[in-house]
Amino acid sequence: MTKSPPTAVMRLPEPCDHASRRFFLREVKEFIDSSYRPRLIVDLSAVEQLGPDSIDLLLECVGHAERGDGEFSVAGASPQTDLILELTQAASVLNMFPSVLEAANGRQLNNFESGKQGYARSLAA
Amino acid sequence: MEMGALVVTVGGNASSAVQGPGLWTPSWPVLGKTVLQRWLERVQGLGVGLVSVVDRNIHESSRVHTLVEWAKEGVEQVLLIVLGSYAEIDLLDLIRFHSEGRRQVTKVFDQQGPLGISLLDRGCILASHEQTSEDEETPSSRYDFLGYVVRLSSTANYRQLVQDALEGRCGIEPTGRQTRPRVWIDETANVDASAQIHGPCYIGPAAKIRAGVAIRGCSSVERNCEIDLGTTLDHTSVQPNTYVGPGLYFRESVVDGTRLEHLARGIAMDLGTAELSARIGTQARRVHRSPKLARVSELPAKAELL
Repeated sequence: MTKSPPTAVMRLPEPCDHASRRFFLREVKEFIDSSYRPRLIVDLSAVEQLGPDSIDLLLECVGHAERGDGEFSVAGASPQTDLILELTQAASVLNMFPSVLEAANGRQLNNFESGKQGYARSLAA
Repeated sequence: MEMGALVVTVGGNASSAVQGPGLWTPSWPVLGKTVLQRWLERVQGLGVGLVSVVDRNIHESSRVHTLVEWAKEGVEQVLLIVLGSYAEIDLLDLIRFHSEGRRQVTKVFDQQGPLGISLLDRGCILASHEQTSEDEETPSSRYDFLGYVVRLSSTANYRQLVQDALEGRCGIEPTGRQTRPRVWIDETANVDASAQIHGPCYIGPAAKIRAGVAIRGCSSVERNCEIDLGTTLDHTSVQPNTYVGPGLYFRESVVDGTRLEHLARGIAMDLGTAELSARIGTQARRVHRSPKLARVSELPAKAELL
């Protein structure tokens, strides 16, 4: 029997100011550094319009996930957010899914924290 | 025989177009000139000295007043063009057809219906002015046009016209010089040597195309635009005075200042929040860097580590 990788579902901080970015990234790093092949899903379903700081933040998450041998996905983007990700070509480096459930499809995800505002909740599978 | 031409526009205020389903506005140029300018050139090419352009939103009575004044001054025929389409009608043939007919009004139709173009005799203008009943309509001749027509009511129609013009399917000649087959670049445009320009495409006056930009797929960049480093335009039109940020990828879209309509996705949205584009001369530009550019910017740091 194989063990599923640890998975976390997070929401982008809003507003995406300097302090909340730092806090968010710290939680991402903690999760990635403490897990073996971690899986991080960012739920964008509550994002109305993606600003440049949020895009940068997503790209930083991609970098952290790659360095930690993990996997990074975004889920639930609105058509507008999806378009912004295409225009900025962020879509080419992101795994994108219509919903968090679909992002987690094939993986065992025992608990979602997508209802909570904000930050990382590590879910050991 | 003296002739007048009255061109009725839909109004060219770009901001008013936001309220509609798309961004389309008649003020958008098609490869250097608006459809209105192209109509006026054709009308003036007939030698018509009396040309007036009025907004459709202005009360109809003032339009009628113009026609009646012309008729009273001795203008024999009036070409009335209600701008809603680009149609390559042979106006001389229309006039000939009208003269041969017995009706005082000739209306132009294509297969989809009336095109909003009519030729009116002086007598009919004066008679209709004197009529009290609004329901009574002067009998008209029908001129069937089978040539090139695009009804301009949406951004998709606009893109179709741009594409047809660039591919030579209609008679629109882009302004500027044709530097290569189906590539028109205005002499005042500044195109970086590293930019990849794949025809058919159009780059208008005073446009700046920065390093690494790729323009392809019947794209057009109108006057005074700036396309920043590494951005790709594919089947996309950029409207005048628009700055487009670096490292972006646009396909099947029209960008007008901060506004974008993506035809493939059927989305119209404002890019101002994401700071991807801007109206030149109206706001500060702080634009997002693309992942590719971000990675390029990281290269020196990585090199130092090695």
